[in-house]
Amino acid sequence: MIRVGIPRALLYYQYYPMWKTFFEELGTEVVVSPPTTQAILASGSSRVVADTCLPVKAFCGHILALVGECDYIFIPAIRSVKRKIYNCSKFLGLPDMTKAVIPESPPILDIDIDINKGKGELYQAIYKLGRRFTWNPFRVRQAATSAWQAHLKYRQLMSSYGLTSPQAIDGVKPQTPPPTQATIAVVGHPYLLYDEHINHRLIHRLEQAHYRVLTPEMLTPEQLESAITRLVGRPYWTYEEEVVGAGGHYLESGADGVIGIMAFGCGPDSLMMNIVQRRAAKLRTSSFMCLTVEEHTAEAGVVTRLEAFLDMIQRRKKKGSEICV
Amino acid sequence: MRISMPHMGNLYIPFTALFQRLNIDFVIPPLNNQRTLSLGVRYSPEGMCIPFKLTLGNLIEAAELGADTLLMPAGSGICRLGYYAKTQEQVLHDLGYNAEIVCVGVSQRKLFGLLEIIKRLSNNAPWSKIISAFRFGLAKLNALDRIERAVQKVRPVEKMKGTANMLLAKAVKAIDQADDYDTLERVQIDYIGQLNQVTKEERAQPLVVGIIGEFYVLLEPFSNLDVEKELGRLGVEVRRTTFVSEWTKFSLFLNPLGMNEKARLHKAALPYLKRDIGGDGWESVGEKVLHAKEYDGLIHLAPFTCMPEIVAQNIMTSTKENIPVLTILCDEQLGKSGMLTRLEAFVDLLEHRRRAKSKA
Repeated sequence: MIRVGIPRALLYYQYYPMWKTFFEELGTEVVVSPPTTQAILASGSSRVVADTCLPVKAFCGHILALVGECDYIFIPAIRSVKRKIYNCSKFLGLPDMTKAVIPESPPILDIDIDINKGKGELYQAIYKLGRRFTWNPFRVRQAATSAWQAHLKYRQLMSSYGLTSPQAIDGVKPQTPPPTQATIAVVGHPYLLYDEHINHRLIHRLEQAHYRVLTPEMLTPEQLESAITRLVGRPYWTYEEEVVGAGGHYLESGADGVIGIMAFGCGPDSLMMNIVQRRAAKLRTSSFMCLTVEEHTAEAGVVTRLEAFLDMIQRRKKKGSEICV
Repeated sequence: MRISMPHMGNLYIPFTALFQRLNIDFVIPPLNNQRTLSLGVRYSPEGMCIPFKLTLGNLIEAAELGADTLLMPAGSGICRLGYYAKTQEQVLHDLGYNAEIVCVGVSQRKLFGLLEIIKRLSNNAPWSKIISAFRFGLAKLNALDRIERAVQKVRPVEKMKGTANMLLAKAVKAIDQADDYDTLERVQIDYIGQLNQVTKEERAQPLVVGIIGEFYVLLEPFSNLDVEKELGRLGVEVRRTTFVSEWTKFSLFLNPLGMNEKARLHKAALPYLKRDIGGDGWESVGEKVLHAKEYDGLIHLAPFTCMPEIVAQNIMTSTKENIPVLTILCDEQLGKSGMLTRLEAFVDLLEHRRRAKSKA
């Protein structure tokens, strides 16, 4: 059976169920790279120039982990998923960049996703991708429809049961949350939120301390969009809702604390996180902390800041003192 | 209403001419200096690129001079540039300046968008007046770039180092002061003549280095610490395809007619990069491939954390064209002596390569 590799990095957390369904319907086996480790990150970092951001370095490490494990690697170039809203250059050039820095990688299945060019072009691109595995155009169509259904189900699972991406992917049964101390919203791109190596198990730590953790996926698209409109007007970036949308919503809805995670050197986040921070300073309803991660971020540093942040929230709950941002 | 805009090279000269002819109150912020940079750095998000920081510094200094309407380039599908204005406006408001930022589209509706903005700013001046002022601004822009091209040729071979730079400074001033087409033409002929008469080293065959990379840092000498002048001092001829006059010529007039000056670059980049990645990333890769045979080396300028140029840099390191590339990342931490050491080492390397080639 043909094996298609999907790296467990970047857009994996947004689209994995969709991609998996598509390729399995076409009769291929889907191989996913193992969770990020120090070795994976180091091997990825060694291939790209130093200024490349952490998630892309991790991505290259995952590609290297898949070399020899699969016959194709799936790397889409996602330009826009909504009209007139564009993506970061690193996503646009991902297939080309991977080919350049990892010449030994298996053949890359690249597909241009650009809604601005219209539905016709999009269907053509999907069809072209599917035709590598079957001669039958109807089977491609069937696979694409099932993939879309899987994606909708995945989104719905997260927003209605309050699951995080990894929970929804692993099929964890929705549970009633245990009695909690306070709610902490964690905002940022899923590839930072759910990669436990990159963020030093931030969500796990919060849950262990009995906080209820809220993430961007738990909100509906309408909630996210209306928050963006209030903060900046028309959205500009493809994944703006994960930062500005979720950040704005949780600040306004009065979560006890909001933690923003961004990667050092991330172009879009350097602006978007700043917008959220400004909002937090203006509203003063929730405490806000921004964690910037990179290869040198030490676990002890993250833990110390997290403890201080949580202590502050506790103290505030007891005494009702002023909100710090 | 008092209008201002951020600096990029000598771009303020054509705009001054344009606004003067339309009797618009236009204030030029101080030329980029250490204070501009410090202000920009202080009020910018920390991970931002140098064009954002410098333009923010300009806007703050313009607001200090009483400007209330600020022109900023914007657009969609490019890079962070499209988001600059949203953040910069918030920063200005937080600092207590009640200035409005007017976005000038640089990706869609370029010519008509710009003309409409000028019309609005000029209090509905008649179109004939706007177009004639616009033409005069363009003439100044072309004159500036024509002189700069001539200076690039003279710098490496002049006997008295610094003559060309001195003439350039004088010419820029004269162009700024020129009030009609005749004077403008005379200034150009005069200075190009003077540049041709500069005594040159005999039998000097300078190394040729192409300068490629991100638009703003290429065109704003303050942000790249005068890399072109320094290379000229080292006896290296600089070639650059990016000029504002070229950009205006194609983006405003010829691209809508279906002519694409960049098609050649994109085609050259195709084996390595198949799609537009925003900013000038695609062009950077294309220039490397295209100029590998003509030039001795390339200097790739990019702002620190520039997304498109990082992708381009990753791809450029693995193309098979054999030409040395020195990437210089520009930000407020870039130091002059550090850069000079790197330039000198690079030029040594190129000279060595040339000698080795001529022996073989």
